[in-house]
Amino acid sequence: MSKTNDEEHGGAREDEGPVDDRAQFSALLEDSAEDLYEHAPCGYLSTQLDGRIAKVNTTLLDWLGYQPEDLVGRKYFSELLTVGGRLYHETHFAPMLRMHGEISGIALELKATDGSRLPVLVTSTVKKGGGGQPLLIRTTIFDARDRRAYETELLRARQAADRERDRLQALTTTLQKTLLPPTLANVPGLDVCAHYHVASVDEVGGDFYDLFPLAAGTWGMFLGDVCGKGVAAAAVTSLARYTLRAAAVYHPDPVAVLGNLNTVLNHEYNGADPRFCTVVFGLLTPDRVHGGFQITLASGGHPPALLMRADGTADILPTPGGQLIGVLPDAHISTTTVHLAPGDTLLLHTDGLTEAHTNAAIGGGERYGDDAFLDFGRALAPTTATGTISAVRGLLDTFGTGVDDDTAVLAIHVPRPHSDEQQ
Amino acid sequence: MTKRLSLHTRTTPAGPVIELVGELDHHTAPEIRAALPALSLNPGQQLVLDLGTLTFCDSTGITVLIAARNHALAAEASIVLAAVPDRVSRIFRIVGLEQVFLIYLTAQDAEAAWRPTAG
Repeated sequence: MSKTNDEEHGGAREDEGPVDDRAQFSALLEDSAEDLYEHAPCGYLSTQLDGRIAKVNTTLLDWLGYQPEDLVGRKYFSELLTVGGRLYHETHFAPMLRMHGEISGIALELKATDGSRLPVLVTSTVKKGGGGQPLLIRTTIFDARDRRAYETELLRARQAADRERDRLQALTTTLQKTLLPPTLANVPGLDVCAHYHVASVDEVGGDFYDLFPLAAGTWGMFLGDVCGKGVAAAAVTSLARYTLRAAAVYHPDPVAVLGNLNTVLNHEYNGADPRFCTVVFGLLTPDRVHGGFQITLASGGHPPALLMRADGTADILPTPGGQLIGVLPDAHISTTTVHLAPGDTLLLHTDGLTEAHTNAAIGGGERYGDDAFLDFGRALAPTTATGTISAVRGLLDTFGTGVDDDTAVLAIHVPRPHSDEQQ
Repeated sequence: MTKRLSLHTRTTPAGPVIELVGELDHHTAPEIRAALPALSLNPGQQLVLDLGTLTFCDSTGITVLIAARNHALAAEASIVLAAVPDRVSRIFRIVGLEQVFLIYLTAQDAEAAWRPTAG
């Protein structure tokens, strides 16, 4: 039964009414065709194929403030539209209607006689004769004021969300910067370069590095990676960075420095949400006798450094047995000592580089890996600090979105004497 | 992002065995970490983490293993790992975890090696 569609006037429910009521109810429906047309809850409009208005219902006339004689035979449908709407009608609406015989749900604005504008949704179909020839255009027009208000509200909310997101990104960027040294210390006789690759502008990463002077002509450096991301990781990064700087001043032995960091982090973070970092700390001492630098590296569970020699060979610098820092009461820290001769380059990195997806663009799951990284070093040697970092940046670029964790790299290089004479 | 990790738990007389299937990284780790406190462990029991079907584990994934260890130790239980894949054991070597966890070839080996401790 389709009667329920039009029961507005009724109150005449079939089960409660006697026969009279039912007759009355049918009567209501029967004389409704003309009335429904004139007072339908939407505007009806019939136009000739050129758009001249042939018939218009009362609803639409009332919305716009016209009398039938103002429009019928006098105006074109497009004349009811705003200037922008008219343009759209000429260039899209009418051609689409001609081509497909119908067009639906187009948002336009109608001009009322009082100058106000009425946002509407317009649907038109072409009525065809028996031979398929087009005869006239029928158009329904729905009041879209509520919908427009809703859309405006939606737009406003979206703009507010965009502003918040920009604010968050600015905050994240600032926070990230505070976790890295603005510039690296200038070490006489050493070429130094670093790079921090941000994987996500929405989240602070947990990588960190620094290079700074210690007493008596020695230098300290570190590079590390706090597990996880976001503000919680940034808090650990900050704590780790300042603890390392302070501990190194107090007692620069690399094992003692990392031991202190382990104690501090252990106090702060453990239990159900453990936070740890892996870090390599180095003590740099100029070698007055042989030239170059003597470097003592201590590793707390960090991926080994890559040593690229002046003679074009390259290898990893193992620091086996070192344990991650911050979750074990007595983390074992392992050390290694290396002489960095003129022409040699040492590269420290975080695993964002080696864990990067190499074919992210085509959905591949392969990760770059340590072996490829060693090959990269072998192809690069001999090199310089700046040469190394620019090569790493090029490598990261080729991974694109495949780098899903932040990556920090720090390269130190002892320039050859008279390097500019050797081409 | 679709979850690339699932977790299967079964109970044995020696204690629970948790099998981790998929990638354990910063996308999947929080959920597993959150599930740990609900894991019931009695003193003297042994928690086995079966990593045989773990395809990836990054630094955040390692926090899950450490959180599991903390949970086990707090319950006066022990924790062992089983079937650690080569890739993962290489990461363990780098971060020095192979000295922290007792590792067995299979979960069955771990179960067979368990001895109830008196008291």
